[in-house]
Amino acid sequence: MKILRSWLEKYIKTPLSDEELADSLSLSGTAVESITRGIDDRVIIAEIRQIAPHPNADRLQLATVFTGDKELCVVCGAPNIEVGQKVPLAQVGTKLPAGTLEKATIRGVESFGMLCASDELGLGDDHSGIIILPSDSIVGRPLNQYLGSSTVFDLEITPNRGDCLSHFGIAREVATLNDKFIKHEPQNMETISKKTTDSISIEVASAEICPQYQARIIENVSIKESPTWLKDKLTALGLKPINNIVDATNYVMLDLGQPLHAFDAEKIGQKIIVCKSKKGEKITTLDGILRTLDNKTIVIADEKKSIAIAGIMGGKNSEISDTTSTVILEAAEFDPAFIRRSSKFLNLSTEASYRFERGVDSGGVEYALNQATKLISEISNGKALSGIARQISKPKKISIRIEFEKIIQLLGLDIRHDQIIHILKLLGFEISGDTCTSPTWRHDITTWQDLAEEVGRIYGYSNIPPIKIDKTVTPAVSEYFFTEFIKDILKNSGFSEIKSYAFLSEKDIEAAQIKSSSLLEVANPIQQENKYLRNSLIPNLLKAVAKNPSFDQTFLFEIGHIFTKTTESNVLGIVAAGKDAKESIELCLENLSKNAGIQKVKINEISRDELSRFKIRKPVTYVVEISLSEFAKKYLKSSQPKLTINSETTHYRQVSKFPAITRDLAFILDKKTKSVEISNIIYSVSEAINRVELFDEFASDKFGKGKKNIAFHLCMQMLDRTMTDSEADAIIEKVIKAVEKKFDAKLRS
Amino acid sequence: MIKGSIHPISEFLRESINIFRDLGFDVYEGPEVETEWYNFDALNVPSDHPARDMQDTFWLKDGRVLRTHTSNGQVRYAETRKPPIKAVFPGTVFRNEATDAKHETTFTQLEGLYIDKDVKVGHLIWTLETFFKKIYGDDTKIRLKPSFFPFVEPGFEVDVKHNGKWLELLGAGMVHPNVIKNMKLDPDKYNGFAFGLGIDRLAILKYGIEDVRLFRSGDLRFLKQF
Repeated sequence: MKILRSWLEKYIKTPLSDEELADSLSLSGTAVESITRGIDDRVIIAEIRQIAPHPNADRLQLATVFTGDKELCVVCGAPNIEVGQKVPLAQVGTKLPAGTLEKATIRGVESFGMLCASDELGLGDDHSGIIILPSDSIVGRPLNQYLGSSTVFDLEITPNRGDCLSHFGIAREVATLNDKFIKHEPQNMETISKKTTDSISIEVASAEICPQYQARIIENVSIKESPTWLKDKLTALGLKPINNIVDATNYVMLDLGQPLHAFDAEKIGQKIIVCKSKKGEKITTLDGILRTLDNKTIVIADEKKSIAIAGIMGGKNSEISDTTSTVILEAAEFDPAFIRRSSKFLNLSTEASYRFERGVDSGGVEYALNQATKLISEISNGKALSGIARQISKPKKISIRIEFEKIIQLLGLDIRHDQIIHILKLLGFEISGDTCTSPTWRHDITTWQDLAEEVGRIYGYSNIPPIKIDKTVTPAVSEYFFTEFIKDILKNSGFSEIKSYAFLSEKDIEAAQIKSSSLLEVANPIQQENKYLRNSLIPNLLKAVAKNPSFDQTFLFEIGHIFTKTTESNVLGIVAAGKDAKESIELCLENLSKNAGIQKVKINEISRDELSRFKIRKPVTYVVEISLSEFAKKYLKSSQPKLTINSETTHYRQVSKFPAITRDLAFILDKKTKSVEISNIIYSVSEAINRVELFDEFASDKFGKGKKNIAFHLCMQMLDRTMTDSEADAIIEKVIKAVEKKFDAKLRS
Repeated sequence: MIKGSIHPISEFLRESINIFRDLGFDVYEGPEVETEWYNFDALNVPSDHPARDMQDTFWLKDGRVLRTHTSNGQVRYAETRKPPIKAVFPGTVFRNEATDAKHETTFTQLEGLYIDKDVKVGHLIWTLETFFKKIYGDDTKIRLKPSFFPFVEPGFEVDVKHNGKWLELLGAGMVHPNVIKNMKLDPDKYNGFAFGLGIDRLAILKYGIEDVRLFRSGDLRFLKQF
């Protein structure tokens, strides 16, 4: 959620810098995702004078814009620009969230700046078009003077903290952290003598779905654009201004966290009913979509028809229009679980539903209603009727025992009882002896553990001392240890472990000729790759073979779970492709049998047809698939395998997308020299060396007394382009020199 | 013979599990296809709560889910055992989202659970400090920030100071009383802590890997470096 610092300061001023404020919020549980400073001065208001097609690109246009003193040509890709519009122009040199804007040549035409969409200015996620500013905006002025340039904090509010979804809510947090408590300012509102309750009545079917519903009426409103200050605030936070009535409700929601809804009084009857929808009932919502409801959605209705989906979106049939003269303004509290269910059911999430799902301040509904009524009266010349039409059930108050000792124990903090009480009071808790009740805006606090968290997060967790936990008897090993032990056997047999995805796509099952009816199916995959769950490791192993054409021997394995409609099992899959495939997989199975008791395993050769379906160009490929759990049980009865930890340092080199050059080098050197030492030296010669692979090592006096022959594959690659042969030669030259010098070695030619 | 290799994620898990094993933690692997109960409800994440939206879930056509965390092992493991309960849950977890260099559908988690009498926040701090010092070196520091995960209360985001920078590396907290109840234990008698380590993220930091998708690419040029 976005918070404007200038708006926050309406409630609480602090001397903290933006970063310090962000830190203190983060350390107390309100994570700050980003801080966007006000818009750069070099973003100015410009007028579009002329639009011409781009000579070399159909989707681009050339806009000639007037900056107040000169005309500039700007290349623009947005579809919504027209001559005469006032738009934000980022001039060359402007700092934007994405970086500094430079003069660019776009498809052969020079562009002296950029017309900006909301997201490009860090004002929201909207990239649908250039921001069109009101026609009375003054050309040449920096946009930030117009939009009220203030720092915007983007906050990540956790789902338990609905009370933080407003400027007032965040101000309340900041106040607590500064040892202060802020309250709403008292209200005064002018009303006419005519009573709201004479015009409308409220009927709520059950308090369970709607603990309170309150409404006011404003007459004689004139619908128009909102004043600039109001539009600025909404725009700065990424909301589109619509008209003065709707903008006022949005403003109060951002200010106080209470969603409100305005109806055109002439379009509805005199009785407002809050009830559950009828199954199959249809309503067109404000977005113009006809929606069919089930029987569990809360609706607002009059005697004849539904006029809104409660807490989610209003109905088209009661919408505020240019001719509206009387407004019925609703402020309510709906049951969070009902709203969430319906929002999911309708696949419709709005600013309002987001807040209702998380719970609104049950003690603040009337205040927000009055605030919005006042604002609407002011900016629409309307007259508010006196009094409120409402149905309110008695609020539930949970009292919680403050388990002082348990709280202190759990946190391990040196904190006194009166300090605990002080923190709870700052947070708005009402204290009576050893018990407290939560403030009306907190629905997430029901246990003493919840209180402990509140105390801890305000007091600060930095002073909690670490306490050693007792070492207990190390438990017996489980199947995990057997699995890792198997991996070592495979590694030592020359096989490399892969981890693939647990999924199969339509394409995969076609290549592997698996019937989809036997597979577990994902109901809601976002990507087509994630449609089915694998019932075998082999398809993904074969895909991996196809992906590694540059290796003349591709020996891979995976240990992972496979699934049928009713089972899940831990399985080992092995594939050997290329040179010596058969011998290698046989040797590997022999090692598994000898060391781990895995026996009677069948080797399958992949047919030519299947190889071609998987696009494998190696002539022979063998696979094996073994279920491990039974073997694990048997093996673990008599053995306790330990985890082997690799103590060698790994030199990770980025894998390039450009072709590699591989060279082989063999040296004769002292037989005691370790291969790791040699490969370390080779790696240190150049960043372009991304693989040094030992492939032959043989000690014999025929190389000289105490000498051995050692040979490596060297794989070299550039990250940004294809390496040339002469570059490779130069590196190889350096490698030879380095190894010869360091180990007193001789290149074997 | 050519050289074989162990996947860097397996390697990193082994190193991590060894550290916890020295402290007496058991190793338990739960299923990847899980019921709604063990993945969500048992962990105090009811279906009508917005906390469900914190993770993008793969739902199966039969109503089960691909586990979104190895926390599904918590109640499965603890409901048949008596405290003190100490275990880590390694395994593959799933998120239903579009992938890029920083986002994956499939990654590896190591969840830790400790249930006993009088477990304190300080025990959690000590355990995590011990772990990260062994992994990243003796001068590593950790700090807790308040956060929200429905299965813990209080809940923390844990920052680790690595190469002079604070990084948000994991979520942790004191096991929620409702979860203790679902373990068939009395929350007035027992409490505990839990934490969830994202192994991919930790391995990326350790080796300086630029794209999370490499782990599951099956690219031997990548795998043979480990």
